Amino acid sequence: MQPIKWLVEFVEVRLGVKELYNRELKGYLLPRNVNAWYTLGAVLLALFTLQTLTGILLLMFYVPDAAKAFASVQYIVNEVPFGWLFRMLHAIGANVIVIALLLHMLSVLFMASYKGRREFTWLSGFIIFNLTMGICLTGYLLPWSQLSFWATTVATDAAGAIPIVGDYLVEFLRGGPTVGNQTLGRFFALHVVGMPLVLLALIGAHLFCVKRRGISPPPFGPEYHATEAKPFFEHEKHPGGVPFFPNYFVKDAAIICFFIAFLLAIIFYAPGLFFPDSAFQPADPFLTPPHIKPEWYFLWAYQALKIFPSEIIGLGVQGAFMTFLALLPFIDRGPERRPAKRPLFVTCYVLGILLIVAISIWGHYS
Amino acid sequence: MTTHVAPPQRRKFLITMLGGLGALIAAASVWPVFRFLSPVDTGGSSNQVFLARDVVAPGKAHFFQYQGKPAVILQPTPGNFVALSAVCTHLGCVVAWQEQAGEFLCPCHAGRFSADGQVLGGPPPKPLESLVVQLDGDQLKIG
Ligand code: HEM
Ligand code: FES
Repeated sequence: MQPIKWLVEFVEVRLGVKELYNRELKGYLLPRNVNAWYTLGAVLLALFTLQTLTGILLLMFYVPDAAKAFASVQYIVNEVPFGWLFRMLHAIGANVIVIALLLHMLSVLFMASYKGRREFTWLSGFIIFNLTMGICLTGYLLPWSQLSFWATTVATDAAGAIPIVGDYLVEFLRGGPTVGNQTLGRFFALHVVGMPLVLLALIGAHLFCVKRRGISPPPFGPEYHATEAKPFFEHEKHPGGVPFFPNYFVKDAAIICFFIAFLLAIIFYAPGLFFPDSAFQPADPFLTPPHIKPEWYFLWAYQALKIFPSEIIGLGVQGAFMTFLALLPFIDRGPERRPAKRPLFVTCYVLGILLIVAISIWGHYS
Repeated sequence: MTTHVAPPQRRKFLITMLGGLGALIAAASVWPVFRFLSPVDTGGSSNQVFLARDVVAPGKAHFFQYQGKPAVILQPTPGNFVALSAVCTHLGCVVAWQEQAGEFLCPCHAGRFSADGQVLGGPPPKPLESLVVQLDGDQLKIG
């Protein structure tokens, strides 16, 4: 133990880390009734870190060239030692991130944690959500399989529904009249550098908002009280609360382990879950495979485009829905956060989820 | 029967167990990364290389890969073959054959080697590594 003590002392006299520890970790108090849903942010941080690490490893062998991309991915999976593991961690990890993002967003919605002057926290989170979808979409093209190629063709084609500029926009997104090598180049650059850099900055902003504003107490139990809106900034404190470290940190770690176990379980027991046959055939621009579908989290948007009589209406409804979600904290301004006291909200919440699930299932089987 | 264990002891036990488990998981995740990053066998490391006899004319040099590294074969006098590693013994640049002078010059720091690999001048500390060559019909067997 002696050398460790000496090291801590060495750093302490130079950087004053004990004060930081006492203030930011042990002294960072969370509401006494904090629940497991508050771990999802930490889960997302862990999953994004894993995604970055596996991504760096894949980059060592992946070749972003239409003539070589498919073969390079096959090489990673079949030849490089443990290449299959890192490829699966990355590809299936993306799906688990989307699941964690949806759960984080839904729990924040259900507990109305966006209330109490947390508009910036919500907005930054909402942009993160959309950007993550963008990272998923651009990454999907990279293996250059039939699935990649045609899913990207369909996804970029949707932009054609926009009046006047639509057709040009489609070509602009693709960098040419059809999906091709130029599309691969721009998607690769965005997926690997552009969007992750912006994401990193946004995650920083999001965490800053959370920390600066103070975490919201769960709206349950006898301790609940509505936060009164003061005309000045005030950090929301929780005197007598649970220390973040070690108490809540242990809970964070446990749920992170749970998510990693879930990810590994899919890799080992259901590796084909997210890979239809078309994912194993190299892209062929002259042959559209039957039943080409986007990934599950885009199914609702895909089906919505088909339900409406014209694509532009479908696109407009989607846009309106997303704008409404983005601006929710500015629209839903009442101080009440208890779900039992917000019947209208909870009804819309449940019906909304059911509707999106139903449209997605419809899209899957249509 | 219950045995009472004082909280500090329980804490120490838990921390030790968690630390051990963490170390185990860390080791289990480092191994795949290590294997993933380990150098690949590109097939160039085979111990013998066969070349056609006429790849190298008298007085000329021919460069090829031997065990994944650059090597060179010369025919100083007709029917007489010499094979050497082409990696300079100073800092590892690849030597160039100077046909007029009949010697090797390393472009990095001007090390000079004779046609049989001996150091003629410059910084190289040792001769070029020599490789075994055998003439087998119209094939040259190196290694
Ligand atoms: C990369 C993705 C994200 C990361 C790493 C992340 C991280 C975090 C963390 C660490 C917290 C504090 C602990 C917790 O309540 O979980 C938090 C809180 C919060 N997040 Fe996120 N988040 C992400 C995405 C989102 C999204 C997509 C939304 C909603 C659109 C969102 C909205 C919120 C809100 C409103 C809070 C405040 C909760 C409170 O004060 O009780 N976040 N986030
Ligand atoms: S490396 Fe050849 S002379 Fe220095």
